[in-house]
Amino acid sequence: MVDFSLPAGTERFRAELRAWLATSLTDDVLAAARRGPADPDAFETIRTWNRELADAGWAAISWPRAYGGRGATVLEQLVYIEETVRARAPMPLNVIGLNNIAPALMQYGNEEQKRALLPRMMRADDIWCQGMSEPEAGSDLASLRTRAVRDGDHFVVTGQKTWTSLGHRADWCQLYVRSDPEAPKHRGISCLVVDMHLPGIDARPLPTLTGETHFAEVFFDDVRVPADALLGPLHGGWQVATTTLSHERANAARLYAELQVRLEEVTADLLRAEEDGASVANDPVTLHRLGELAVRAAFLEGLCKRSISAGLHGGDPFASASLAKTVWGELGQDIAALAYDALGPDAAGGRWADARLAARSLTIAGGTTQINKNITAQRVLGLPRR
Amino acid sequence: MNLEPTEEQLALRDSVRRFLADKAPIAGHVRPLLEDPTGTTDDVWHGLAELGATGLLVPAEHGGAEMSMAEAGVVLEELGRALYPGPWQSTAVISARLLARLADGGDGSEAAKLLRRIAEGSVIATVAAHNGTVTANGEGGDSADAVLFGDVASVPDAAAAGVLLVPAAEGDRSVLFALESPSPGVGIAPQHPADGTRKRGAVVLQGAPACRLGTLSPGAQGALVDDVLVASAADALGAAQAVLELAVDYAKVRVQFGAPIGSFQAVQHLCVDMLETVELARSGVVHALWAADAADPEERHLAAVRLKAFAGRLAAVGDTAIQVLGGIGFTWEHDAHLYLKRLLSWSALLGSPDHYLQELGSRLVQSVQTAPSRT
Repeated sequence: MVDFSLPAGTERFRAELRAWLATSLTDDVLAAARRGPADPDAFETIRTWNRELADAGWAAISWPRAYGGRGATVLEQLVYIEETVRARAPMPLNVIGLNNIAPALMQYGNEEQKRALLPRMMRADDIWCQGMSEPEAGSDLASLRTRAVRDGDHFVVTGQKTWTSLGHRADWCQLYVRSDPEAPKHRGISCLVVDMHLPGIDARPLPTLTGETHFAEVFFDDVRVPADALLGPLHGGWQVATTTLSHERANAARLYAELQVRLEEVTADLLRAEEDGASVANDPVTLHRLGELAVRAAFLEGLCKRSISAGLHGGDPFASASLAKTVWGELGQDIAALAYDALGPDAAGGRWADARLAARSLTIAGGTTQINKNITAQRVLGLPRR
Repeated sequence: MNLEPTEEQLALRDSVRRFLADKAPIAGHVRPLLEDPTGTTDDVWHGLAELGATGLLVPAEHGGAEMSMAEAGVVLEELGRALYPGPWQSTAVISARLLARLADGGDGSEAAKLLRRIAEGSVIATVAAHNGTVTANGEGGDSADAVLFGDVASVPDAAAAGVLLVPAAEGDRSVLFALESPSPGVGIAPQHPADGTRKRGAVVLQGAPACRLGTLSPGAQGALVDDVLVASAADALGAAQAVLELAVDYAKVRVQFGAPIGSFQAVQHLCVDMLETVELARSGVVHALWAADAADPEERHLAAVRLKAFAGRLAAVGDTAIQVLGGIGFTWEHDAHLYLKRLLSWSALLGSPDHYLQELGSRLVQSVQTAPSRT
């Protein structure tokens, strides 16, 4: 039977988490979440918050208990995302590490790596980054060129990564390198776990169009990486990348939860803003636009839940997941555009002007909307390649 | 949480699809009936009854299969896909659910008898509720008989129906009456809107003898509106899915400049845009069908209003499909225009999407206004 309701146990999990968040999320942490990790003070506040989460068992709920997680079900992960997003908790500094790198470490790493790295990742004692995109490998990720050459018991790594989230703050990097230049492009890639403090690594902040610094360009100049840094099979890095992506089956919940919260925040600011003595929110054109955004946000929730449900119940989540990403990018931009249009550049300390600009990344990061549409056209609709 | 269709739903979908392809194909049934005021034949209606489709939602105690709106949605999607022009939705969904709300009391009532006839397939019914005013003159009180006066501007399947279900004001309450059609005092003027696959007619009542079925609570009236919205949206979803498939299939085989046009990214992106819209709508429809039976009235109504607010975007799937099809899609011979017209008639049903979008905006503002502050 089609059923949108969650099991009673999952709802109890929600209540427990909600109660914990209500007492633990202090105004300091909420303020840090608003400023974001690019602000150095906020960064440290969020790091402290990540430790509190870890100590209370709320940092990495999808991880097995053996590694400090809760072995949470997919539906508990969904609820976790909904609740933390709605409570305006900051995103974990190691969000990529917790969701994408850790599953690879658990699957392919040795016991020593797991013991040494996972607890410190969970507590944000170590900051992790992921070395994927390169100047010449954006949407076409598999064409990456950063090369690793075996030399005795080391790999010698040379090349450049870009758009590396928190690369300039990172202690560790899950790095994708070309280990076999002769092989077809997907089959010559390896994955290395690299200590970012090794000689020859230069991580330079890469300010984005808002002036904020979330990303880095990372240069590798004959960096000698111990051979035991190899994660997964030699030349099997593409497999590591794709298997880890399939671990986070509840992550689609973030897409709708974040945009619904954003839409509520815009609406709250519209209610406060006045024009000629009347609330901007009562303008018929604004109401129309809000309604249009609200219906898409609600249907995006349905699309995300369908992809999660398909993963749980033997369906194919691919179509709904890839469409959800496209809808999310476009909707996020439209929400930001409404905020800017209706509230103006100075509202909320310039917040909506920044949001308007920052939203450009939503249809670029993680593969552009256009490339995503090509893939959807071919894989879902079966349209021919050129 | 499980949003996957069940095995039984897939089997139902397949059997309805087979039946329609066999007994009511577009070329052999839909097109010949484009100008027909009823949109149905005895053959097709009895076939649907034999499938068990007319009694799908009728409670078991009244001879039906007592399934849920999720199953009705499966059938409706197939009807939209096949451009089915007949009165199944009016009879088996809208009338049956309205009557089932009244017939809760027992088996002997007039409402219960009508439900049994719907399940048997021996009556076509429709609800004449919106865009009009009807008043009842009669004994009042407990008497079963009354005469009705008034008009309803646009009633779905009015010409096909043998029974009209008419809510009428009686004092300050709303009472549901049944009247036979044709009968003296009942005037029906078939309308010929652009969409020849959905039949409508104006109903004029001048002292029409009617049978009192029961009082319509405000809750039942609200549920009736939501039923119309959700059922029509499920139908439109099927139409949109079908016209998307027509366009995609054509793009795979139509060769220009030495390549299938579906290999051009510009065409691929149009196709994915259609898919995105259809799948968004499907997400809303799946939720609203579930909410129709399982959610509280507030959530049910919100889910239904969203579907209607999205109707304009869904209709654009028909526009884009014709763009992908190119010249052939602009001909009378091709079925694309029939789908576009069906989608446009959903878009126009019970008011324009703009009105509903603004309502959703107001609801969002109200919910933020009343929520505890978090910012």
